Amino acid sequence: MPDVDPITASVIQHRLVAIAEEMGEAMLRTSYSQILNSSRDFSTAICGHDSRLVAQAEHIPVHVGALPWGVKAVIDFFGDDVHPGDVFLLNDPYHGGSHLPDLTAFVPVFANGKLLFWTVNRAHHSDIGGATPGAYNASAKEIWQEGLRVPPIRLYAGGELRQDLMQMLTVNVRHPRDFQGDLAAQIGSVRLGERRLETLLEEFSADVVAAAVEIILDAAEKQARQVIATWKDGIYQGVALLDDDGRGNQDIAIRAKVSKQGDGLEVDLSASDDEVTSFVNSSHANMQSAVAMALAFLFDPETPKNDGSLRPVKVVAREGSVVWAKPGAPVTLSTSHCAQEIIEAIIRALAPACPDRAMAGWGRRFRIAIKGEDPRNGKQFIWHMFHARPGAGASPGGDGWHGSGEWHSTGGLKFGSIEVAESRFPLYFRRHEYRPNSGGDGKYVGGAGVDLELQVETETACHGNTAGDGARHGSAGILGGQDGAPHRYLMRAPGRRPKVLSTKEEGITVPAGTIFEVHSAGGGGWGPPQEREQAARDYDRKNGYVTKRAKTGG
Amino acid sequence: MYRIGIDVGGTFTDLVAIDGEGQVTLGKTPSTPADQSIGVMNGLTQVAESLGLQLAELLARTERIVHGTTVATNALLERKGAKVGLLTTAGHRDVLEMREGLKPERYNLRLPRPEALVPRHLCLGVEERIKADGDIAMPLDEASLAKAIGRLKREKVTSVAVCYLHAYRDDRHEKMTRAALAAALPDVHVCLSSEVLPQIKEYERVSTTVVNAYVAPILAGYLSRLEQALKTAGYDGPVLIILSHGGIAPIAEAIRMAAGTVLSGPAGGVSGARHAAGLVGIDDLIPFDMGGTSSDISLIVDGQATLASDRQIANSRIALPSLDIVTLGAGGGSIARVGAGGLLEVGPQSAGAIPGPACYGNGGTEPTVTDASMVLGYLDPENFLGGRARLDLGAAEAALERLGTSLGITGVRAAEGVHRVVNTQMAEGVRLATVRRGVDPRRFALLAFGGAAGLHGTEMARQLNLGRVVVPRIASVLSAWGMLATELRLEVTRTHIGDTSALDIAAINKLYEEMEAEGQQRLRSWFDGAIHAVRSADMRYGEQIFEIDVPLDQIDFAAPDLLARIKAAFEHRHEALYTYSLADQDPVLVNARVATVGALPALPEEPLAATGAPTPAIGQRRIYLGEWLDAPVYDFDTLTVGQTVPGPALVVSETTNVLLRNGDLATTTPHGWLDITVPI
Repeated sequence: MPDVDPITASVIQHRLVAIAEEMGEAMLRTSYSQILNSSRDFSTAICGHDSRLVAQAEHIPVHVGALPWGVKAVIDFFGDDVHPGDVFLLNDPYHGGSHLPDLTAFVPVFANGKLLFWTVNRAHHSDIGGATPGAYNASAKEIWQEGLRVPPIRLYAGGELRQDLMQMLTVNVRHPRDFQGDLAAQIGSVRLGERRLETLLEEFSADVVAAAVEIILDAAEKQARQVIATWKDGIYQGVALLDDDGRGNQDIAIRAKVSKQGDGLEVDLSASDDEVTSFVNSSHANMQSAVAMALAFLFDPETPKNDGSLRPVKVVAREGSVVWAKPGAPVTLSTSHCAQEIIEAIIRALAPACPDRAMAGWGRRFRIAIKGEDPRNGKQFIWHMFHARPGAGASPGGDGWHGSGEWHSTGGLKFGSIEVAESRFPLYFRRHEYRPNSGGDGKYVGGAGVDLELQVETETACHGNTAGDGARHGSAGILGGQDGAPHRYLMRAPGRRPKVLSTKEEGITVPAGTIFEVHSAGGGGWGPPQEREQAARDYDRKNGYVTKRAKTGG
Repeated sequence: MYRIGIDVGGTFTDLVAIDGEGQVTLGKTPSTPADQSIGVMNGLTQVAESLGLQLAELLARTERIVHGTTVATNALLERKGAKVGLLTTAGHRDVLEMREGLKPERYNLRLPRPEALVPRHLCLGVEERIKADGDIAMPLDEASLAKAIGRLKREKVTSVAVCYLHAYRDDRHEKMTRAALAAALPDVHVCLSSEVLPQIKEYERVSTTVVNAYVAPILAGYLSRLEQALKTAGYDGPVLIILSHGGIAPIAEAIRMAAGTVLSGPAGGVSGARHAAGLVGIDDLIPFDMGGTSSDISLIVDGQATLASDRQIANSRIALPSLDIVTLGAGGGSIARVGAGGLLEVGPQSAGAIPGPACYGNGGTEPTVTDASMVLGYLDPENFLGGRARLDLGAAEAALERLGTSLGITGVRAAEGVHRVVNTQMAEGVRLATVRRGVDPRRFALLAFGGAAGLHGTEMARQLNLGRVVVPRIASVLSAWGMLATELRLEVTRTHIGDTSALDIAAINKLYEEMEAEGQQRLRSWFDGAIHAVRSADMRYGEQIFEIDVPLDQIDFAAPDLLARIKAAFEHRHEALYTYSLADQDPVLVNARVATVGALPALPEEPLAATGAPTPAIGQRRIYLGEWLDAPVYDFDTLTVGQTVPGPALVVSETTNVLLRNGDLATTTPHGWLDITVPI
C-alpha cells in the first residue's frame, strides 16, 4: 500500500464526506413523499468493498450504524457476482434491513475492474403494502402482515432495469406513483455517488484512496478512544422500559450492561426481555444502529461517523430477545421503539461514567395516521401527524429544546406548515402551543412538549391508527433529574365521552367533527432540581413554560 | 457628475467614485461599527482629497450615492435590535420559537437552546381566525386585542410584529390591529406579515416579519443619521440602499422592508460580478469572494444572478427573495490545527482582525491561511496593501513550524498542506453550492475577488474541473463598484394556490395585473424613469415541497392555452434543475411573483488598459509549488491588453495578489483584467 501523508488523507476525507452529502442533497430535492423531502427520513453513505462504513451524510441519526449490515447482506448473497452498472435493493430486516418501509439501494463502485466501494441510500417509503396503509400495523403478529419483504435483489443488471422485478415491487404497494418517484430519487442518488467516487479514484489512484481510507478510519478510532479514555472505568447497568407491547403486556425491559475499561467499551444487551408478538421488536441491524447512535451522542459531535469510531465498541446481544428478534417476528416500529429504549438504557448506564456528556431522555414517538375523504374534492386522503413534537432531553449544555423531537431524529424532523396542512387536508388546527409543566425538572429542565387541538372537518367518518410509546413512561431524567410528563392523547368525538388513545391501536373509527386533543411528552431533566438557579425558574414562569408551583427548588 | 458606491464591511469601508468619463477613484477607510456613518463620511472625505476637491464640492457634483450597509446584519448577529412584541392568532403564539421542530447539528445533543428574537412573554395570542379558504371562523375580538396591546405597552416594546394565520389571503384583521396599535402606541414601529411577506407558510412569514420588526428601527436610526450628515455636508441627491435581492431602493423603502437588507453587503459583490459577466462576455460565472473570516459563493447563470426565496441568518429564517449567496467558514484568517484524530483541519475558527494572522504581528501565534501564504512566498512581506503594512515573515514561519512538528513534517510542507486543505474545502463548498441549485460547476468560470481569492482561484478551479478563472483589476472593491451597476427593484408576491389545469385564466391575468399595478405605483413614487415588470411563479409537483422559481416573462398571458404554457415553462425549468419532468402530472402554482424594475443609466464604460508591447516583470520571488522555484512578479496595473503571463508567476497590485501555478495561462482583457486558462 502506498505511503499517504496526513494532508492527502484529510483532502480525501473531505471529498468522501462531500460526496455522501451531495447524494443526500439530490435525494432531498427530488423525492416525492413528505416523509423524505420534509421529514428527511433517509440516509446516504459510502461503504468499503468489505462493507465497512467510510462516510455518512448528516440527516437523521436512525440509520447511522445500520448500513454496513445491508452491504454485508448483499455481499453474502451475491458474492463475486457483482458488476459495474448493477443496482441492488433490499428491505428485509432479516437480510440486512432495518424495517420494511426502509428500502436500501446499493451501487458497487469499481476501479480497474476491482470492487472498491459501495454507495448506499436508505429511505423510508410511505407505504410498503401489507395489512395497513403506511406500514405501521399495530395488529401484526408476524412480519408477513407488515408488508412486502425484499431480500437482496439485483434491480439493474449491467445498467439495464429488470422490468419484471420493478413491476413485482410496484404492484405490491398502495401508492405506486410515489413509490417509483422515491425509488428513482434513491437510485439517482447512489449513481451520483458512484460518478463522484470514480472521479476521485481517477484523480488520486485507487491505491492512494484505499490507503487514505485506512488512515481516515484509524484517525476516527483514535478520536473515539481518546473520548472513551476520559470516562470512569467500571461496569454500569441501565434499564429503559417500553410502555407495553400492544398485546396487554406492560413494561418490556431493555437492559444494558456496559463495561468500560481503558479506551474500550462492551455493550451487552442480552439481559433484555424476550421478543414479543408485536412490532416493537428490533431487527439485528436496527439494534446495532441504536447502539451506534447512543455512542455518537456521547462522543464529540464532530467525531466522524464511520467504522473507525465504532471499533472501540463491542456489542453483545441475544437472538430471541426484543432487541434482536428471530426471523419472522414483526419489527416495523423498532426504528422508533425499541431503538429509543436501547439508546436510553445505554446512556442511563453510562451517565455516572461521563456525567459531563450524558443527556436526559428525549421524547418518545407517538404517531397518529388519519385516512378519510376530503369533502372539498371527494378524494381520499391520508395524513400522518408530525406536529406536536415532544420535548428534548436536558444536558450538561443546558435546558432541553422545546418541541424538538425524539432520540432517533434529534431535531431533524420538520412538522411543516399548519397553513399548508389546512389547505391540503380537511383539518383545522385550533391550537398548537407548548405544553406547560411538561419538561422534567432538574438543574437543567427538559424541553416542553406541545399541546395540539385538531379538528377533523370531514363529512364522513375517517379511520385512524396509532403507533408509538411513552403514554405511561416519560422521557428519562438522569443524574437526579426528573422524568418528563408522558404523552396524553384524547379523542373527542361529537356527542361522545372523550377517549384516551393508546399508543398501539389500529382501526379506530373517527366520526366527522372529531377533535384530537394531543399533549405530547416533555423531555427529561438533568441533575438535581435543587441545583436549578432561581433566575432560570423565574424565566420559565415569566414565559409560561411553567405555570404551577415547582415541587422543589431553590 | 459622480456616482459613488459605498460598501461598509466588518473591517474596511470601501468607496468607488466614477465620473462621467468612467474614471474610477477608490477610497478605503476603517469601518466605524458604533456608527457606520462616521466611516462613510471619512471615506467620502478621502475620495474628495484624492480628487483634489473639498467634500462639499465632491458632494455637489455627485448625482447618486448607492450604499451597502451591514447595520441590519449586525443588529441581528449581535442581537442588538429593537424590543419586539409579537401578536399571533390565539393558540399559535409559539410558531417562532418552534422553528417547525428543527434543531441544527444532528449529533450535538448538548447544544445550548437559543433564545428566540421575541421572548415568549412578549408573544401574545389575539382571538381571531381566518381559515384556509378565507372564511372568517372568528372575527377579531377587540377586547382580546386591547388586552394584548395593554400588555405590550406595560412592557415598553419599541416594535411590534403582527402575524395571523392565513393573513396572506385576507389582511383585514392585521390592518385592524395596526389601527389599534397606532392609536394606543403611536411611537412604536409596526410590521404586518401581510405586507412584509404575503405568502403561505406561517413560520417563514412570522420569522421574516419579526426580523423586520427587530432591525427596522435600528436601520431607520442609522439611515436618518447618514442622510442628515450628508445633507449637512452639502449633498441633496438620492441615497439608494442595495437590498439582499441585489436591487436598490430609496431609504424609506429599505426601512419598510428592513429584513430585506441583511445581505446588503455581499449583494454588491454579486451585482459587481453580474456586471463583470457582461464586461468579459461570460454568461455563466461563479463569483467567489474570499475575505478574512469567511468566503461568499454565488452563481451567475445566463448573465443573471440566481435568487433564493429563503435564507437563514444568525438562526433566523428570512423568506424574502435574496441573492443565493452561500457563506463558508474559510478565509485568509482561518486557523489551521491538528484535529483529535491527527489529521490537519483548517477553520472554522478564525484569527479575525484582532489578533489576526501571526504575520500581522498583533500577538497572533496560531497558523492561518495567510501565514501559510507568507511561508510559501505568495505574499510579499515588504509590500502588503501597497506598502502601508509590513508583515512578519518570521512569526508566520514559527507558527507553521509548530504545526509541522505536530504533524511530523517541515513547516513548508505544513504550509502547503494548509493550502491544499483549505482549497479542497472551498472547492467542495462551491460544488455543493452549485449542485444544490442543480447546476454542474464545470461549465462555469470562477470570478475570484476579495482580498485573498487570487491565491486560491486556479487551484480550486483545477479541483472543480473548470478551466477558466477571471480576476478583476479592482478585485478588492468589486462590491462597492457593483453597487453602481445595479437597478431599482421592487418585489411583489401573492399566494395563489392551485393545480395548473384548474386555474382560472381570467383570475390569473387579473392577479398579475393587480400586482404589476401595485409595483408600478410604489416604484413610481420615487422614480420617474423607464419601468418594466418581470413575472414569475413558485411552482412544484403536488407531492414535492420545494417550489422552484419559474420565469413567466416570455409567456403570452392573452393566449387561450395560457395554462398549458405555464405548465410547459415549469417542466422546462424542472428538467433543467433535476434532469426530468413528469408530463402526466399537473404542477401546482403556489406563489405569483412580480418584480418591478426601474433601469438606471448605464455605468460609463471602464477605460481600457494600455496597449502595446508586453510589460516586463518587475522582479522575481522565490515561491514554493511542490519545490522552491523563482517566479516572475508582474504589476497588475500595467499589463497591456492581450499580454499573456504563463505560470508559475505572481501578478500583484496594491490590494490584490494572484498566483499562477504551473500550466496556468493568464491573458489580459481589454479592461486590464486577468482571464486565466487552467489546464484540466
